[in-house]
Amino acid sequence: MSDSPKDTDGRHHVESMLMRESLVDREVQRTTETPVFRMLPEAHVIKVGGRSVMDAGRAVVYPVVEALAECLKTKKLIIGTGGGVRSRHVFSIGIDLGLPTGVLAQLAVADSLGNAHILGTLLAPHGVVAIPPEIFGHLLPLFIASAPGVVFNGDPPYSLWEHLPESGRIPPHRSDAGSFLLAECFGCKTFTLIKDVDGLYDRDPRGHAGAQLIREIDTTELRRRGFESLPFERVLIDLLDNARLLRSVQIVNGRHPERISAALEGEHVGTIVHAGHKARV
Amino acid sequence: MQNNLLTELGKSLLTGSLDEGRLMAQTGEPPAVQILPEANVVKMGGQSVIDRGRVAVFPLIEEIVENLRRHKMIIGTGAGTRARHAYSVGLDLGLPTGVLSVLGTFVSMQNARMLNYLLAKHGIPFIEPAQFAQLPHYLAERGAVIFFGMPPYIYWHTNPSVGRIPPHRTDTGSYLVSEVFGARSMIFVKDEKGLYTADPKKERGAKFIPKITVAELEQLDLQDVVVERSVLELMRNATHRRSIQIINGLERGNLSRALDGEHVGTIITSD
Repeated sequence: MSDSPKDTDGRHHVESMLMRESLVDREVQRTTETPVFRMLPEAHVIKVGGRSVMDAGRAVVYPVVEALAECLKTKKLIIGTGGGVRSRHVFSIGIDLGLPTGVLAQLAVADSLGNAHILGTLLAPHGVVAIPPEIFGHLLPLFIASAPGVVFNGDPPYSLWEHLPESGRIPPHRSDAGSFLLAECFGCKTFTLIKDVDGLYDRDPRGHAGAQLIREIDTTELRRRGFESLPFERVLIDLLDNARLLRSVQIVNGRHPERISAALEGEHVGTIVHAGHKARV
Repeated sequence: MQNNLLTELGKSLLTGSLDEGRLMAQTGEPPAVQILPEANVVKMGGQSVIDRGRVAVFPLIEEIVENLRRHKMIIGTGAGTRARHAYSVGLDLGLPTGVLSVLGTFVSMQNARMLNYLLAKHGIPFIEPAQFAQLPHYLAERGAVIFFGMPPYIYWHTNPSVGRIPPHRTDTGSYLVSEVFGARSMIFVKDEKGLYTADPKKERGAKFIPKITVAELEQLDLQDVVVERSVLELMRNATHRRSIQIINGLERGNLSRALDGEHVGTIITSD
């Protein structure tokens, strides 16, 4: 320890830019804004809805699988799945038993993992399988270099460490958030959410016949309009605002499977949500 | 859907949107149980305690041992100066926040392992997140367990709004353990008496704040605070752990007194 810089107060330091600094200090934080390296710039991340697609059965899932298979011929895909109705069920039982948010988050992984294996089975003829969450993140570049794509449970590995929601106890970071965060960290090319609606509406289209589709919007406008219901996890708004690499998401209707490959080509076929005005890139 | 197996809430959850405000409000009831109401979560500072070596760490190890039969302790570790080095290298190379979070995890794991060997003769295990299912057993048998403080977000770590350092580090990971288990207390062992109006290591005139609420702290809008800001943000929505205490672990006896419920440092409360 003799050659490490030592404070007069007895802390042993390693020489670095952040030595002795409080990482909570706002000025220090400002100095750490550096351009971000993209690990997988050619890969596309797609989140396939649990309730909206996987739970809808063969009539919906098979055409989506076919569309994905078509994309896999020319593109590398990282496909996340949602937990769907089984997650809703385990949430309701868990809440009734008095279990906290972190436990609900831990339980929900099993459902989206089940859906990842279902989708992985159907995509197996194309060389795409579900990867165990324990090795998925670390080995992802290897999988993407060796296979046309992978399937994973879309959830982030927050488990017991899930954040507390503002209201109630449902985990706020579910599979939309997990798939988005992965795409952002690996610097992927696009992020697409496959759901069962054409995109974002001004009101829930399921209960309101006159609901208007919003083709394009940014997060500033989204916050201002305060929609009661969104076709994606609300936390995605914050994640988009803080994103450095992935500054938009597209919501696409899986009932029109031809739109999936169009979206990956950069076409506007659903609702595109952009990060807000405070763009930093 | 006719289904007598489901509660009313269950029926709403199967059909409703999980992003709809009214439905979400209903999911707060019945209240969450306290999973480990007797446990105390103790976070051992990285830069503030462990990086000081034997002088700071040995007396704290002795104090932990003295408290083994009196208090149950879930001990989290900070990262410290090696994490600052790894973050500096990583930032220079343009590595994303998620990767920096992986690097920080490795350092807090080193610190957890070191404490683990110093407490090994008392049968106290170090557990990784995958082993948390065994935590209640170890706690009941041995009275304490050690874990690394970083939350296991790795590549899924959210970006901060300012800069690129992972915003949820070992204070946050330890705090969330205390909240999810409904623990009896959350004690941050650092090298300052608690919260000051500025960093007391840099500003001579910094004033000590013995007790404050999260809202009051936000009003003060301090440039630097003694715990990660995300702990304060998370405390707003907490169910169980609505107060934390920051203590000076370099003063012998403070940890024991804090475990006994005494006010020896700064207490921050949700309201």
